[in-house]
Amino acid sequence: MTGTWTLIRLILRRDRVLLPVWIAISALLPLSVASATAALYTDQAARDAFAAASMSNPAQLAMRGPVYEASLGGLTAWTLGSSGALIGALVSVLLVIRHTRAEEETGRRELLASGVVGRHAPLAAALTVVLAANLLLGLLSVPGLVGQGLPVGSSVLFGLSTASAGWAFAAVAALTAQLTAASGTARGLAVAVGGLLFAVRSVADSEGVAWLAWLSPFGWARLTRPYAGDRWWVLAVVVVAVAVLTAVAFALSTRRDVAGGLLPARRGPATGTIRGAYGLAWRLHRSALVGSGIGFCLLGALVGVAAHGMDAQVDTPQFRELVATIGGPGASISEVFFTFVMYVLSQLVTAVALVSALRARSEEAAGRAELLLAAPVGRVRWALSHLVFALAGPALLLAVMGAAAGLAYDGGALRVAGATLAYLPAVWTMVGFATLLVGVLPRQAAAVSWSVFGLIMLVDLLAEFKLVDGSVRDLSPFVHVPATLLEGASAAVVPLLGLTAVAGVLAAGGVALLRRRDLVPSG
Amino acid sequence: MNAAVRIEALVKSFGRTRALDGLDLTVRTGEVHGFLGPNGSGKTTTIRILLGQMRADAGRAELLGGDPWRDATELHRRLAYVPGDVTLWPSLTGGEVIDLLGRVRGGLDPRRRDELLERFELDPRKKCRAYSKGNRQKVALVAAFASDVELLVLDEPTSGLDPLMEAVFNECVLREKGDGRTVLLSSHILSEVEALCDRVSIIRAGRTVESGSLTGLRHFTRTSVTAQLTGPTPALAALPGVYDLTVDGTRLRCQVDGDALTAVLGELSKVGVRALTTHPPTLEELFLRHYEGAAR
Repeated sequence: MTGTWTLIRLILRRDRVLLPVWIAISALLPLSVASATAALYTDQAARDAFAAASMSNPAQLAMRGPVYEASLGGLTAWTLGSSGALIGALVSVLLVIRHTRAEEETGRRELLASGVVGRHAPLAAALTVVLAANLLLGLLSVPGLVGQGLPVGSSVLFGLSTASAGWAFAAVAALTAQLTAASGTARGLAVAVGGLLFAVRSVADSEGVAWLAWLSPFGWARLTRPYAGDRWWVLAVVVVAVAVLTAVAFALSTRRDVAGGLLPARRGPATGTIRGAYGLAWRLHRSALVGSGIGFCLLGALVGVAAHGMDAQVDTPQFRELVATIGGPGASISEVFFTFVMYVLSQLVTAVALVSALRARSEEAAGRAELLLAAPVGRVRWALSHLVFALAGPALLLAVMGAAAGLAYDGGALRVAGATLAYLPAVWTMVGFATLLVGVLPRQAAAVSWSVFGLIMLVDLLAEFKLVDGSVRDLSPFVHVPATLLEGASAAVVPLLGLTAVAGVLAAGGVALLRRRDLVPSG
Repeated sequence: MNAAVRIEALVKSFGRTRALDGLDLTVRTGEVHGFLGPNGSGKTTTIRILLGQMRADAGRAELLGGDPWRDATELHRRLAYVPGDVTLWPSLTGGEVIDLLGRVRGGLDPRRRDELLERFELDPRKKCRAYSKGNRQKVALVAAFASDVELLVLDEPTSGLDPLMEAVFNECVLREKGDGRTVLLSSHILSEVEALCDRVSIIRAGRTVESGSLTGLRHFTRTSVTAQLTGPTPALAALPGVYDLTVDGTRLRCQVDGDALTAVLGELSKVGVRALTTHPPTLEELFLRHYEGAAR
C-alpha cells in the first residue's frame, strides 16, 4: 500500500475539475427536485393523484420503481432515487477504470510501479477517492433537503442511499479492472453488469417480483426507503457487498502481472480485409455507431412509453399552464413532452456526432494518420472518410430514436421520426463547426468544439428560463429548428435548408483548410 | 545523376524555432543513404516534408522526380514509410494493419509477408493495443518490406528492436538494396549506419554538416593509434598532425592525421614496438567531432 497517499493526490490533481463538478451537481440535484415537487404538487390530493398515476405506468415503475409514500420527501426520493443511483454508478465505474486499468494500459502505471508504489496502491487510491466522493455528494445534499423542510435523519439516509450505488459500482469496476488487459473491455464489462442489474430492478418493480430487487444495488438504493420508514440496515447489505467485491479485487490483483489480465486477451484474424480509407473508417466508427444506435433506440422507446401515460399522470393545473406557454393553447401534454425530450436527446446525438467529427483530429494527434497518409491515401479522401460518419451517423441515430419513440407512443413511427430528423441540420451545423476547427486550429479543435457545445446547451437552458436575451439565444443552431409536432411540417423548410447550407459551408471550409495545412501530431 | 531525393536549402520554422535551416540532402537511386543526426536535429521534420505532411517555408525538395507536396498521393504509391514512433489502431490486429497498408499501396506479396512475419517473430493475430513498441515497429516494417516499392523511408526504425531483431532488420535492408531499391535510413545508431549505408549525410541543428561516402568522410579524420613500446617514448607531441597524446609508462595513445601517419610510425619503429593497434574512426568519433560544438 506504500504510495497510496501520493497516488490519491495525483488522482485529485488530474480530476480537479471533474470531481468537484460531479459532486456539486449531484449534491444540488435533490434540492432542485424537492423544490420543483413542492411547487408542482401543492396539496396532498395532487400528490396522491400523481403517485397513483405513476404507480400505474409500467415505464415509470421500470425506470424509478414504486412510490413508497406520497409525501414531499417520498416523491423526491422516488423521482431521483433511481436516476441518481444510475449517474453515481456510471461516473464511479468510469473513474475507477480511468485510474486503474487505463493507467496500466498506457504504461504510466509501470512508470509509477518502478518507483516506491506498492502493488495495491493504485487500486486502493482509486477506490478511496471514488468512495469518498460518493459519500461527500450524498452528505452535501442533506442541507438543501433539510432547507426544504425535510427531516434530517431521512435526508442523510437518502444521501447515503444515492452514494451506495456509487460505492457498489466502484467495487464492481475494481473487479472488472483486474480481468482484462484492455481498459475499454473492463469499462464495458462493468457498464454491462450495471445495465443487467438495473434491468433486474426494473423487472422486479414493473412485473411485481419484489424479491428480485434485493439482488441489485439499484434495488438497495430504493429499498432503504428514505422518508418512508427509513430502513437503515439495508446500508449494511451494501457495505458487505462492497467489502466482498473489493477483497476479491485485491486478491485478484496479486495473482496477475502489471498490465496483464486474468482473462486471456482476445486474438483476432491474422489477415485483414480492410480495403482502404473508407473501410478503415467503417471499422473505427462501427462499434460506436451500433452501440449508440441500440442506445438511442431504447431511449426512444422508453420516451414513447413514458409519454403514453403522460396526459393522465401530470394533469395538474400548473403543468397545463406550462404546456400552454410552450405549445400554445390546446397543445397536448404528451406532444409538448415529446418536443422537449427530443430537443434534449438531439443534443445527446450531437455529442455522439462531435466525437465522430473530431475523430480525424484524434487520429492525427495519435500519429496514426501519418502512417495512412504516407500511403497513397489523399488528405481529402481521409478527411471525408471520417466526415461521412459524422454526417450519416446522427441521421441514423435520430431516425432510429424517433421511429422507436413513435412506435412505442402511438404507432406513428414516421411522424415522430420526421420530428427528430428536423434536428439533423442543427446537429450537422455543430459537426461542420468542429470540422472547420480541425482544419484551422487542430490543437485546440476538440477543446473549443466541446466548450462551444457546452455553452450552447447552457444558453438554451438559460433561455428556457428566460434568463438570456433572444439575440444571444439565436446563436444556437438548435433554436432554429421548428417543433414540427406542434407547428406542422410546413414551417420547417426554410430554417432547415439554411442550417444545412451553413453546415455544408463550414465542413467544406474545414476540409479545404485541412488539405492546405501541415499535419500536427501531438507532442 | 539520377536522384531519388534531392533537397536544397530547405527551411522550416515552428514558431520561433528554426527546425530546418538550409538543409541539403541528395539520395541517389539504388543506394542506402544514412541520415544521421542527434535527436531534435531535424531528421523527422525533413522526412515529413518529403512525405507531403508538412510544407517547407523555403528551399526545394524533390522526391522520385515529383513535388512531395503537390504529387503526394501519386508518389506514395512508389514508397513505403516506417515512422520512428509507430502508433497503430488499438482494435485492429497486426495482420489487419499490414494488409491494410499493403492494400492501399496496391497489394503486397503474401509469401514475402509470411516470411517476414516469421523472421521478425511477430504474432499477427494480436490486437495492436497489446503490442510493445518494438512489435508495433515490426508491424510497420513488415508492411514496408513486403510491399513492392522503389523507395523505403525509415525513420529510426530499430529504436525498439532487440539486437537479434536488429540483425534481421539489417539483412532485410541489404536484401532491398540487392533488389535495386533505394533506402533512406534516418538514425542516431552509428553501427547500424556503418553496416548498411553507402553514403551518409550528417545533420545538426537543421543544417547538413557533412555528406558523402563513409570512406570519403573518413579521409578527413584521424586514425587512433595505441602502441606498446620496448624503449623510452619518443617526443611525438612535437610532430604536426598528432593530437590527444597520452603516455603511460611504455604505453602510448594518440590520434593521428592521415598524412602524418608515416612520420609517426617511423618514430615508433625507431624505439621498437611490442604491440600496435590502429583503427579507422568510428562514426561515434565522427559524430563527436561534429557535435562537440553543439554540446558546449
